[in-house]
Amino acid sequence: MKRVGGSTRKWAVLLALALAVGTLAACGGKNDGSSESSGQASSSQSGGASPSASGSEAPIVEITVWDKPAPDAPDKAIVEEIQAEFDRTHPNIKVTHEDVTQTKEKFMAAVASGEQPDVFRPQFPDMPVYIQTGIVADITDLVNASPDKDRFIEGAFNMATKDGKIYAVPNEMYTTGLYYNKKLFQNAGIPNPPATWEEFAETAKKVMAANPGTIGYDILGMDWADWHFEYYVWQAGGDLTEQQPDGTVKLTFTSDAAVKALQFYKDLKWTHKVVQNNVLQAYEDNSKDFYTGKTAMILGASDNFAGFVSQGMDPSDIGFAPYPKGPAGVGPSQVGGNMWAISPTASPEKRQAAFEYIMFHMSKEMMEKKLQFSKDNGLGVNPLTVLKDVDMTRYVEGMPADFVAAIQAAAKDQKLEYYLKSSLSPYVVKPIQKVLLDKNADPLTELQKAQELAQKEVVDKFNKDILSGTNS
Amino acid sequence: MAPESSRSHVAAGPERGRFRIRWTPVLFLLPSIVVFIVFKYYLICSAVYISLHNYDIVRPPGEFVGLENYFLFLKTSTFWLALKNTFVIFLLSVAVTFWVPIAQALFLSEIGRANAVYRVLYQIPSILPAVAGALLWKWMYNPDRGLFNYLLGKIGLGPYGWLNDPAMTKFAIVLPGFFASGGVGVLLYYAAIKSISAEIFESAKIDGCGPWRRLIHMVLPNIRFVILIQFVTFMSGALLTFDNIFVMTQGGPADASLVVSLLIQRSAFTQSNYGMSAALSLFMFIVIAILTVIQFKLQKEES
Repeated sequence: MKRVGGSTRKWAVLLALALAVGTLAACGGKNDGSSESSGQASSSQSGGASPSASGSEAPIVEITVWDKPAPDAPDKAIVEEIQAEFDRTHPNIKVTHEDVTQTKEKFMAAVASGEQPDVFRPQFPDMPVYIQTGIVADITDLVNASPDKDRFIEGAFNMATKDGKIYAVPNEMYTTGLYYNKKLFQNAGIPNPPATWEEFAETAKKVMAANPGTIGYDILGMDWADWHFEYYVWQAGGDLTEQQPDGTVKLTFTSDAAVKALQFYKDLKWTHKVVQNNVLQAYEDNSKDFYTGKTAMILGASDNFAGFVSQGMDPSDIGFAPYPKGPAGVGPSQVGGNMWAISPTASPEKRQAAFEYIMFHMSKEMMEKKLQFSKDNGLGVNPLTVLKDVDMTRYVEGMPADFVAAIQAAAKDQKLEYYLKSSLSPYVVKPIQKVLLDKNADPLTELQKAQELAQKEVVDKFNKDILSGTNS
Repeated sequence: MAPESSRSHVAAGPERGRFRIRWTPVLFLLPSIVVFIVFKYYLICSAVYISLHNYDIVRPPGEFVGLENYFLFLKTSTFWLALKNTFVIFLLSVAVTFWVPIAQALFLSEIGRANAVYRVLYQIPSILPAVAGALLWKWMYNPDRGLFNYLLGKIGLGPYGWLNDPAMTKFAIVLPGFFASGGVGVLLYYAAIKSISAEIFESAKIDGCGPWRRLIHMVLPNIRFVILIQFVTFMSGALLTFDNIFVMTQGGPADASLVVSLLIQRSAFTQSNYGMSAALSLFMFIVIAILTVIQFKLQKEES
């Protein structure tokens, strides 16, 4: 009995040991893997005397790029073809592609844990914060030494430049404007899109009256509400923030322009009654209302055309126009898009390889390949490009001529989103939601409250850091 | 000689044997202890460390600022609004959700036929992933196309704003919990009720004790420890609620459903203020810890 008991105990101890070792191994698995890969990377870096990675004698440089298309992306085939082409022509650069659709939260977590991808594509509004916090590498030397620099349109690098240093390469650019449903307009006997705020409200009312069950204008009231609201502030002649020459920020939520813009929002909802009941619905729901013909007007970007058509909307029904002008007589378009950026933690060899990868994608040949694919597959083409040598007229055939002309018209007068948007957004959204949900809310009072909060909770600290040089 | 005699003494004497390390249980416990340290305590310690810095994720840890992050958020009205909303949502959850599994377990304990069927039926809602459930409810709440306003319209009511109405949004966020609050809780309560001796019930019945009095004087006092444990879990869950609010309202409209957990996420990932985010997390950790200790103290005094 004793022997049996003893052996059982021995087995139990062995089993427990195995469990413990197994767990430890599982815990340490990721670390082991990453240390191995970083080991490989560092050996490949240290082995390379020359920064150039394209020579056949040069060691292999590994880079990670967040640009793997989603499984259902309409352009998946061509993106993968271009990636494969790069692999074939650049045997010394080994690219690991990771999901491009990962959220900003995941990206920030990757940065914090030292797993930042070598190449990634930040959106325009994120650039000021990324530059300031050092999430993007200074690639001035790489850009200036590149023969491709002059192929980019004038001002393309503005958003990626601070104090004369360049931090990213522009990839895609879009411009925004007013989308309208030509068929619903026709039913109401309206030949042209509205050109002023007054016309806008009137048009929306007429379209609703002539098309029962439809909405005049899908307003954006969700937690991105400040995105579209800023256009109305511009149209009224102001902005939501001002960047001072010393780099600090001044809030202008209570400026005459911002108050007028919010009053207009309030009027659209409560006086003219031309917006949807669910003013807080998601951006995607606004798009859906548009391509299903439920709403006559929405605001959108030049690259939305493809999405509307792929969802079954007849291209000839899609109208696009510059924004109706506000009290200031202006209606600038917002320019947005994304850029290619490189991680500051990447070694010089990796940066060089990453830059080669980026410029391969931005080459005339690859760009044209992508555009041709979009044209051939009816995906619609964004008529704007950041490259001078790509002739867009070859690819916009099939798109209504007036659409292309309107996009180009909208692109003439452009503005970037308000400064420090990523930190101030929740504060601007609150007064917008207040006036859209409460007809007794006063625009100036709500904006005043929001400004005081934002000043105290965000701007005071931001300005203090700027002046003390903590974040610069 | 000495070691041998002491060894035999240890083997023979139960008093000294208590101090011997028994490796088998240690080894069995080791995996969970390691996992706990790595995935719980290490993170809590990191949060303390991060909260004391103006944390810089590119060049960690950044400037040491002591308790400044704590003072900063305590001074903001957004934080106090979020804290108020958190507690309102918690109290609403207690009123709308917490008692449901107890009622279901009582019902189960009273019925004999189809007992197993009901037990399974009560588990099904808890299988639905929280985010999928929140999305479904968000669609049903839609003021233009949602199911609720459609049904209410049929009887001449509405349309209501549901999630769009700052006065109603907190209730609308809590309501789905009423329908999906079953799950393991029901089984725990059911098992606790079943563990009460049947003889006590029988004698109470013979003494003329009705179902209502049996519930108040026999069932609930006997399962109160399970209720306490469930309440502690429920409380920390409700005070840290995130997923359904993130999916349904993102804290809106106009911050009417902004809770502390959302503020933690917003500070970190929207405003890149990781020090403040960690300080907020620790604040909630301390609040929940204090409330839990108070509950256990009260329970002890009672018993």
